[in-house]
Amino acid sequence: MRSDAPPKADLDGVIVDDLTVRFPRAGRDALSGIDLHLPPGERVLLLGPSGSGKSTLLRVLAGVVPHSIHASVTGRVIVAGRHAASTPVPELSDRVATMTQSPADQLCLPAVLDELAFPLENRRVPPEKIGPRIVKTLRAVGAGHLIRRRTAELSGGEGQKVALAAALSPDPQVVLLDEPTAHLDSRGVTQVGNAIAADGRSRRTMVLVEHRLDELPWLPERVLILDAGGSVAVEGITAEVLHSHGPALASDGVWLPYETELELATGLTEPADQAEALSRTVGRRPPSTPGEVIRRAETATVFRDGAATVTGVDLELRRGQVTAIIGPNGSGKTTLLLGLAGLLPATGVTGGTVGMVFQNPEHQFLTRSARDEIRYGHASFPAVDEALARFDLDGLGDADPFRLSGGQQRRLSLAVMALQDRDVLLADEPTFGQDRNTTQAVASALTEIAGTGRAVAVATHDLRLVARIADRVVVLDRGQVRLNGDTERILRSSDLLDAVGLSLPPLLRWLLRSAPEVQLRDLVTGLDEMVCPSC
Amino acid sequence: MPVVLIRTLPHDSYLHRRNPTVKFGVVFAISATLLAVFDPWTPALLYCLALGGVRIAGRIPWRSLIVAHVPFLLFGSSLFMVNAIARRGQVVWSWGPLDATGEGITVGASLALRTMVIGVAAIGFVLTTDGTRLMTSLHQHLRVSPRFTYAVLAGYRLLEQLPEEWQTIRMAQAVREERHRPGSLPRSPRALARAAFGLLVTALRRGERMAVALETRGLGSGARTIYRPVPLDRGDWLFASTVLAGFAMVLVTAWLFGWLRGPSALGVF
Repeated sequence: MRSDAPPKADLDGVIVDDLTVRFPRAGRDALSGIDLHLPPGERVLLLGPSGSGKSTLLRVLAGVVPHSIHASVTGRVIVAGRHAASTPVPELSDRVATMTQSPADQLCLPAVLDELAFPLENRRVPPEKIGPRIVKTLRAVGAGHLIRRRTAELSGGEGQKVALAAALSPDPQVVLLDEPTAHLDSRGVTQVGNAIAADGRSRRTMVLVEHRLDELPWLPERVLILDAGGSVAVEGITAEVLHSHGPALASDGVWLPYETELELATGLTEPADQAEALSRTVGRRPPSTPGEVIRRAETATVFRDGAATVTGVDLELRRGQVTAIIGPNGSGKTTLLLGLAGLLPATGVTGGTVGMVFQNPEHQFLTRSARDEIRYGHASFPAVDEALARFDLDGLGDADPFRLSGGQQRRLSLAVMALQDRDVLLADEPTFGQDRNTTQAVASALTEIAGTGRAVAVATHDLRLVARIADRVVVLDRGQVRLNGDTERILRSSDLLDAVGLSLPPLLRWLLRSAPEVQLRDLVTGLDEMVCPSC
Repeated sequence: MPVVLIRTLPHDSYLHRRNPTVKFGVVFAISATLLAVFDPWTPALLYCLALGGVRIAGRIPWRSLIVAHVPFLLFGSSLFMVNAIARRGQVVWSWGPLDATGEGITVGASLALRTMVIGVAAIGFVLTTDGTRLMTSLHQHLRVSPRFTYAVLAGYRLLEQLPEEWQTIRMAQAVREERHRPGSLPRSPRALARAAFGLLVTALRRGERMAVALETRGLGSGARTIYRPVPLDRGDWLFASTVLAGFAMVLVTAWLFGWLRGPSALGVF
């Protein structure tokens, strides 16, 4: 135990010396020999593959590890002038604020007002000063209008803005943000991204874990990259490091800004050259010939809790085709899928047998080993190990599905449905919160499933995935189909998408502008392959 | 089927303005005392008074009152029937193999009416008391630890989300079955047990993350201020003493008329 006082100049910063963390019963260190020095006001982006310990590092800085989550921690960690290892979490929280992925996990009180008053009360702010501070902080993150709302009624984006306000209202010296936009649609990402950027003007020290780099309006100047073993791989200026370590990061499954991807793929720096090189090299796929209609919705209505939530839907799911269902949060995408799957009462839906992959893989597990999951309902399934290997789950046959990582759970739930012999496969947000490798694996798996003559429908916010795999796109808005057509046509009608509140991600916008004559599908597929040929 | 959690009614009323801890104390005192009353007349009188009081002082619409009565009516009538036919005594009415006794009917009616009194008091309390205000008041006036009160509020948030999660898990698991029938979910004990396990795992994970969230926002760092303190004033004491005095008067009246019976009515003491 060290008790030496930290240097005075670093009172508002972060000092990590030779930090090693190991969780009980873990085979290896979660973090090993980490050094990180952040002077007051410095902001750093934390990147690394799944399981490299990014969240663990944030939890050590917040004191949650080892105080609330037990682990053996060695090394020196000083956050805003306090030793994290010897200061209880609530005391440390006077100067350190944390924000995590999901509103459901961090908004704990019934009303927005309570939620924001809570951290201030805990820090003994005089009651008469609390009201004005709540108003000020909510306005600063663009959420002033939410002050009278109940937390249960907030959308994902609104909830995250309230969570950010609750983290910032005590005016902490250090802010720790753990994938604050992971669960949001594109509009939510922009909202929260702007809110974080607005606070970026303050002189707070910030550690940000985030993988949706394209959609944030701004990135920290510095970056620290962890490797798969939980050590620092490289540290430096964000733009330089992303450039120099791009290939390694991409093959590790880390998302990169699209400009970096384009540079990696083409080896060129000028956008005009990149566009020319890309459109010259990517393969051109002939348009697929649509198969027979296997499941059909004719002026279909889907009911939820007795109310007609999705109405007047006409759509055809054909063999060999991938249909994407897109639309803003709350437009009825999941309800439509559940209706198509025969899980919610629906009229006008006919034909075929249907399987469905749910957004949260844990909701779907029925057994206590990956092997039994594959075998469920097919006791005689012949090649379980090959099946697991095909989905990059080799050697995990005996693992408990509930103990797998998020990416492994996603691949297992997809494998289970892919191996069943249903005519139609539906998938709800299959790439939500996944790293680059798992997203690629999901994209190829869905394309392959359609290739075997089945029909696939995907509800998703991920328009890059749509551009890569979908043949048809259905746009939902407030429970009704607004657009239904060929993917290329729909993604090129940006004014129609704008009208329902959808916007193309920066990569797709750039591709449409720079290489308008090539199909988006070919460009995105080609780019993915060129950035990481081994993925 | 949608699951409706009982919610505080948003309007204002005399009962809404009373201190939650005082209201809770009054409901508790009445309920505890009633446990020693075993005749049907006393609780019947109390029920009429309580119903009128809650209706007027809480300005609770009849519709909400009636809906909230359903569980108490079911429980009360089952208590009545079981007691009427299961207690020994003089048979006053027979139906097939079932004999209802006079003693059974008296005790059953008493227990059923007691349930209704406690029920209407609880309805009046729940429909006029905001959860956050109750917890703030318990902390402020009874020195209940904020670690406890905020854990209860977070638990309520978790509970609010469970019905939807349960439905999703059951659908997610139903679609795994080779022969699931469209529009229906499996109800076998095995299927329900699996869904319950899934719900347990997700609820535990979420509960753990909520606990961490409360701590990282400073819960448990010692003394805290209260942004909107819950008032406790003479009006609350007036309310408590009026209600309790009225309650005592009913008991005395019932005793004077010879209606009031204690546990001896059960015939076991």
